[in-house]
Amino acid sequence: MRVARHSFYEATARRRVDGLLDQNSFREFCGPAARIVSPHLPALGMPVAFDDGVVVGEGTIDGRKVLIAAQEGGFMGGAVGEVHGAKITGLLERAADVKPEAVVLLLDTGGVRLHEANAGLVAMGEIQRAALSARHAGVPVIVAIGGKNGCYGGMSIVARSCDWIIASEEGRLSISGPEVIETVEGIEEFDAQDRALVWRTMGAKHRRLIGEIDALVADDMGAFRSAILNFVGRPRPLDLDALEAEHAMLSRRLERFWDCADGRDVWARLGINDPAAVPALDADSFNGLVGALEGGRS
Amino acid sequence: MLEKADAPRRWDTLERSYRARIERGAAFADGKIVRRDETERFLEAVIEPGDRVCIEGNNQKHADFLAAALSKTSVEAIHDLHIVQSNIALPPHLDVFERGTARRLDFCYAGPQGLRMARLVAEGKIEVGAIHTYLELYSRYFCDLTPHVSFVAADAADADGNLYTGPNTEDTPAIVEATAFKSGVLIAQVNRIVDKVPRVDVPGDWVSFVVEAPKPHYIEPIFTRDPAVITEVQVLMAMMVIRGIYEKYGVTRLNHGIGFDTAAIELILPTYAEDLGLKGKICRYMSVNPCPTLIPAIESGFVESIHCAGSELGMEAYTAARSDVFFIGRDGSMRSNRIFCQLAGHYSDLFIGSTLQIDLEGNSSTATLSRITGFGGAPNFGSESRARRHGSEAWLKAGREQRLSGEMPRGRKLVVQIVETFGDGMSPTFVERLDAWELQKTFDMPLPPVMVYGDDLTHLVTEEGIANLLLCDTMEERAQAIRGVAGYTPVGMKRDREMVARLREKGAVQYAEDLGVDKRLATRDLLAARSIKDLVAWSGGLYDPPSRFRNW
Repeated sequence: MRVARHSFYEATARRRVDGLLDQNSFREFCGPAARIVSPHLPALGMPVAFDDGVVVGEGTIDGRKVLIAAQEGGFMGGAVGEVHGAKITGLLERAADVKPEAVVLLLDTGGVRLHEANAGLVAMGEIQRAALSARHAGVPVIVAIGGKNGCYGGMSIVARSCDWIIASEEGRLSISGPEVIETVEGIEEFDAQDRALVWRTMGAKHRRLIGEIDALVADDMGAFRSAILNFVGRPRPLDLDALEAEHAMLSRRLERFWDCADGRDVWARLGINDPAAVPALDADSFNGLVGALEGGRS
Repeated sequence: MLEKADAPRRWDTLERSYRARIERGAAFADGKIVRRDETERFLEAVIEPGDRVCIEGNNQKHADFLAAALSKTSVEAIHDLHIVQSNIALPPHLDVFERGTARRLDFCYAGPQGLRMARLVAEGKIEVGAIHTYLELYSRYFCDLTPHVSFVAADAADADGNLYTGPNTEDTPAIVEATAFKSGVLIAQVNRIVDKVPRVDVPGDWVSFVVEAPKPHYIEPIFTRDPAVITEVQVLMAMMVIRGIYEKYGVTRLNHGIGFDTAAIELILPTYAEDLGLKGKICRYMSVNPCPTLIPAIESGFVESIHCAGSELGMEAYTAARSDVFFIGRDGSMRSNRIFCQLAGHYSDLFIGSTLQIDLEGNSSTATLSRITGFGGAPNFGSESRARRHGSEAWLKAGREQRLSGEMPRGRKLVVQIVETFGDGMSPTFVERLDAWELQKTFDMPLPPVMVYGDDLTHLVTEEGIANLLLCDTMEERAQAIRGVAGYTPVGMKRDREMVARLREKGAVQYAEDLGVDKRLATRDLLAARSIKDLVAWSGGLYDPPSRFRNW
């Protein structure tokens, strides 16, 4: 039977892991059979998930050893609770010990699980520290974003502390979500119902164009796999020079785009002739455009 | 002995009233163009108390500026109107009743205003004449409900009043014809006034006045279904429809409802039906709005021709670029017409749509207890076309299957309902008694509001299988065939297992395996488009979806 493509966006966390790793190579840690569930949710009368909404384990991708975590966006919007966070932290701490060729984080989350309040917030700090420890040990941490929840809140900060970010166009990366901004700043400032505006502001194409993510791929399991492979075994420097370069980049960006009211204004200033056409470009054409812009810059 | 009248009867009272109204209205207009900021006083000049007024309110296009203006007119000047209007969709449509501008209402569909309407009826602010299907209400425009004044919506007008409706013609021709030729005042709300309209959809000498609205008339994209939310159960039902009905009868001419169930059918034509070798054999001619989920079926060569009741937001450039498929004016944009689309669908081979409740006779209803919703077009599409005389493979085959008939050979239109056994909030779709009976009592209706009557229905499709009601010999068999596909609902659990087994033997109940449908293939992988973005790609970039449907 005809299959158009294997969508990453539609797949569950487990199917994403299966789709990205070599066949039968995955070994899960603290799997659902272990029943390590949230201690907080039952007190609130809420259902639990046997894996607390995240799959962690080890496997190979094209024969290369990696550790992998995949958030299940279908359980509480991929939100990070105490157990969920501890599983990711543990995985990253293990990376510093066993030194795989990469840690892959498949993020699909709104951020902290508010029901678990402080425990969730503490978890976020622990993940962040563990990710930096893994990097310090020379293990590249690769983030992939392409699920319904995008990557928001504390986990967006974690993502930007990693080595590489890959996203499909459907993916979004931002600290505050569209509804939060609308609630706080008003609909005149940001209309969360205007989905095209949301994507022009937080969507992966915009993030790629302003240099916050490193690869944009089509919503296809194979495309994610190739993009991840491209970064396996390639740590980025984590030192004072790199940090200062990042700060300088951010200052330049603010100077260059501070008065832009819309993503389209930013793209026009980047030298894109037809900014209105950017959202409709498929991944290949878009990457062609990015390549041309980068070529023009050097 | 005949009594001789003192004065001869006058036969042109309507005409003289028309002239007086035009003269009064002219004080607020330059030629035919009404001065916008005097619209309310203008309406007070041309409308008289007790008038029958039609406010064009379609599925999509609304004379919203004029509707709002009417709701601000003086109640001393205008009161006790009788509103005759197909769709009650916007708050001003009911404001006129709340404040006493209007009192009586004949309509088709209330949609989102259904709850408030129920309250106003209970308070005695609205006297409902009747709830109609579209064709019924339009017919009454030409009989006993001819409007004295009508508000229509168009894209553009010129100074002579020639109107251009663009792709959303919808109800306009019916309203215009009835009003203009029975001495009624026809007032058009337009988005812009131009020197020359791109095409003349309504001739200027039928139009009394034109108002340029401050912003374009409201259009709702109600036919856009995002493939991303189609479920695997819907894919399974779509597979069963294709094998068990479309392939079996050779259905080439049909009308689709606008739910996700029928969208799933459209989206597996280029995959599942293509692999079954059905291209050119099924789904060639359709009467339906230009639903974006039809794009892959059109692009892959399944659907050859579509006539539309109205357009759909974002589909303008796509329809214009497919003039072999859609009905297109010389100006290059689509022409729609709800009456003709309803008629085309009525005389086609099959209707398929969804509903909320079905009883054991196969009667179905979308009525829910707290609100008045109404009918729209489904009862016309979803009824046996008893005046049909021409044959077709599907129609004749269904006619031959029909058990409850006499000696005279007849054809039969296929009328199919597609439902999941449990609906929203896990409420069972199958019930012993429709809520419609309660609703009849609550709102004092002449009959329970039934969308499709059981004796019009031929097939019932659920995730369990297909009940073919044509093959049932008795009402008892019919009830058991319905129970046989009602799954784990209380109605389904009460099935007589032996009788259902016998019905299965004669094909009146068929499950997936009886139809040659492999359930393991029922995944979203079969959908030719899995997202709105995929639909844009299929259209070669011509489909421009409204922002709310995007995730890019």
